Amino acid sequence: MKKNPTDRRKFLQRSILGTAGAGLAIGSAYNTLVSAETQDNLQATSEDQVANEVDVLVVGGGTAGAIAAIQAGRAGVKTLLLERNSQLGGTTTTAGVAFPGLFDAWGKQIIAGIGWELVKACVDLDGGKLPDFAKVPQRHWHNQVHVNQFLYALLAEEMCEHAGVQIAYYEFPQKIVATADGWLVDCVGFGTQRRVICKQIIDCTGGAETVGMLNLPRLREEERQPGSMLFQLGDPHNPASGQLNRLYVHGADSTNSRTVTAANLTGRKAILQKVRQQKQRLMHMQPETGVRETYRIVGETIITVQDYTSGRLFEDAVCNAFYPVDLHTKSGVRPQPLKPGTVPTIPLRALIPKNSRNIMVAGRCISSDRLANSGLRVQASCMGMGQAAGVAASLAARDQTTPLEVPLVKIHEMLREHDAIVPGKV
Amino acid sequence: MVLDKLRAPRGLRRKAVTLLTGLTFVIVAATGIAAFAAGFDIQVVGLHTLMGFVFILLVAFHLVNNRKPLLRYVRSKTLWGSLAVTAVMAIVVWRQPPAVKMLLSLSGNLGPAQERFQMSEDHMVFQYSPADDYKLALTVKTGPTYQLENPPQIAIWLENQGAYHIKTLLAPDKDKEGMLPYWAFKKKGWEQAKRKAEENNAKVDGVSSATPNGSFNPADYILPADPENSMPYKLLIEINQPGDAHGSLEDQPSLVYAVEIDNSLPRTFQVLDLAGYPQREQIDGQESWPLYYVNEEFGSALDLIDSALLTIERTPAGSVGTIQETGN
Repeated sequence: MKKNPTDRRKFLQRSILGTAGAGLAIGSAYNTLVSAETQDNLQATSEDQVANEVDVLVVGGGTAGAIAAIQAGRAGVKTLLLERNSQLGGTTTTAGVAFPGLFDAWGKQIIAGIGWELVKACVDLDGGKLPDFAKVPQRHWHNQVHVNQFLYALLAEEMCEHAGVQIAYYEFPQKIVATADGWLVDCVGFGTQRRVICKQIIDCTGGAETVGMLNLPRLREEERQPGSMLFQLGDPHNPASGQLNRLYVHGADSTNSRTVTAANLTGRKAILQKVRQQKQRLMHMQPETGVRETYRIVGETIITVQDYTSGRLFEDAVCNAFYPVDLHTKSGVRPQPLKPGTVPTIPLRALIPKNSRNIMVAGRCISSDRLANSGLRVQASCMGMGQAAGVAASLAARDQTTPLEVPLVKIHEMLREHDAIVPGKV
Repeated sequence: MVLDKLRAPRGLRRKAVTLLTGLTFVIVAATGIAAFAAGFDIQVVGLHTLMGFVFILLVAFHLVNNRKPLLRYVRSKTLWGSLAVTAVMAIVVWRQPPAVKMLLSLSGNLGPAQERFQMSEDHMVFQYSPADDYKLALTVKTGPTYQLENPPQIAIWLENQGAYHIKTLLAPDKDKEGMLPYWAFKKKGWEQAKRKAEENNAKVDGVSSATPNGSFNPADYILPADPENSMPYKLLIEINQPGDAHGSLEDQPSLVYAVEIDNSLPRTFQVLDLAGYPQREQIDGQESWPLYYVNEEFGSALDLIDSALLTIERTPAGSVGTIQETGN
């Protein structure tokens, strides 16, 4: 059915008038408050306009976002998960880095919970094998868990469904306005305009795009780490085998649709060139470039590389992390392994943008310096962050407060209830 | 003259002394050649050394028996020339310039001795200087369970980033290699790869395709042409005290300590960390010896070594010398 352009105009006008009508400025979205009259705000005017009122809105259904949403759903709060692509899993599925890690350090499991449950379910269903964490890995990546990326996406969807999480694919926030007790978020997908009233937002976009829309401070290096495009030449693709070919996409950036388009075009051109040079059949290609680095938030605290390499146990630590300092450059990567026994931790304050309320992040945009981020950005750590953010946001929504004001003991208690490992001495 | 009055003991007169000196020389010469060519053997070196003392005594008698011609030599002009040549040869060999080192490195006995291992009451020092500008010293302080009279077996070796053995610096006793299974397995893999490469008439690097960024040539790691872009390598120690029962373990397995050396981030001092203990696995008919994290079952084995400190003295960047490979 052809969409009526006037309906869209009306919807956008209503959004603006709804905000302006409350006597608030439109330009600077975050520093404004609207009296959220739910019914008015949620009234849809045509079939391409939908509305939701939820407790927790998770933006981005990737590595951290899917876990955050499942956790929020399991905590019993109403949860909506927005994903701009067609499936959950992000780096693991869309980018094809189907070997999440690291869940262990120095012979013991340090990250578990929902992320591990999903990974384990995926390996079990695929007839795969989990690494033996008692075994010393010869290289730092040896204990990454090889998963079937296709199954992973399916199981993540199933777990969301079982947790009562509503998924909205192909959508992204267009405008976010603070309300007295949360947020009013207008989202756009093709053929869909969605208005969401929520108490809490968890930004799992990778590059903290939601935080950016709120004009909260973010950091970005002038030159970012290269992304990776995964493909398979010659041999057929065998899921969970970890045998995909990879090439660096320099300048890969997930900030917006234009930069993602540029990264994908660059990556695909390089693959085409390889096919012609090597005269081998192209057997598999991931739909998107995996991005290592874009923006990081400026949080209530910033994890420094000294914090990371010393394994600082933050007083508000909510999960562990483990990976070498792993900064990729134009000439490759030279991982700096952590000293034996070192297990870095992630504090709740690093997931909360400075001077903000009712919004958290989880994933590689965590508040950290660049070198610390190069180790924190990996999948298992992002899953741990996702679960912690899911717990904090759920408790905050339930208690009508902001995540920073939720007692830490309650967060730890709920994390343990959901099989997460709360940092302590390993 | 006093010399005129000297006589060799009865029964050791000229003919007997000359024959004994000659025959003793044959033994000293033969054992000298054997000691140079083969690895260290206490019987060969013991025979060589003690027969050397007998030879010295016999030479003394020989000199006494031949004092008159000797005195003529002393008075001749040739003496000074001979002394000068002998002194120059001794100084050259003593100072060990690269050419002498190269000759010594051909020796199965003296070559490895260039990498010196010293043991004292509470520590052992292993020194390895592949070049004048790269001096590596590993100081292992023994722990409370180290027994000097019944010392544990120790191997020290280097591995590349792909965990392939590239050079053994200190091997255990030949008949006790099985006590250090991790090192033995790695070394066996290296020897097989080397053999395969030789069979294929290819360079050894050619078989390292399993680790595309790895080389089997120690020189590439220890003294890289471009230290800034060099590949890190590892130094490992495997130590095992046979028969050291503890708790439910009848014999605690060997322990492996390791440190990564990165010439692009040069550090003078590095401490080796406990990496784990090896355990044999057989998957699809393929033998492997992965390391496992040490658990609470271990006891005295953990106290064989108090600490292991690696010291590397490097010359400033840009003045890297050439490596002198000494076999292994």
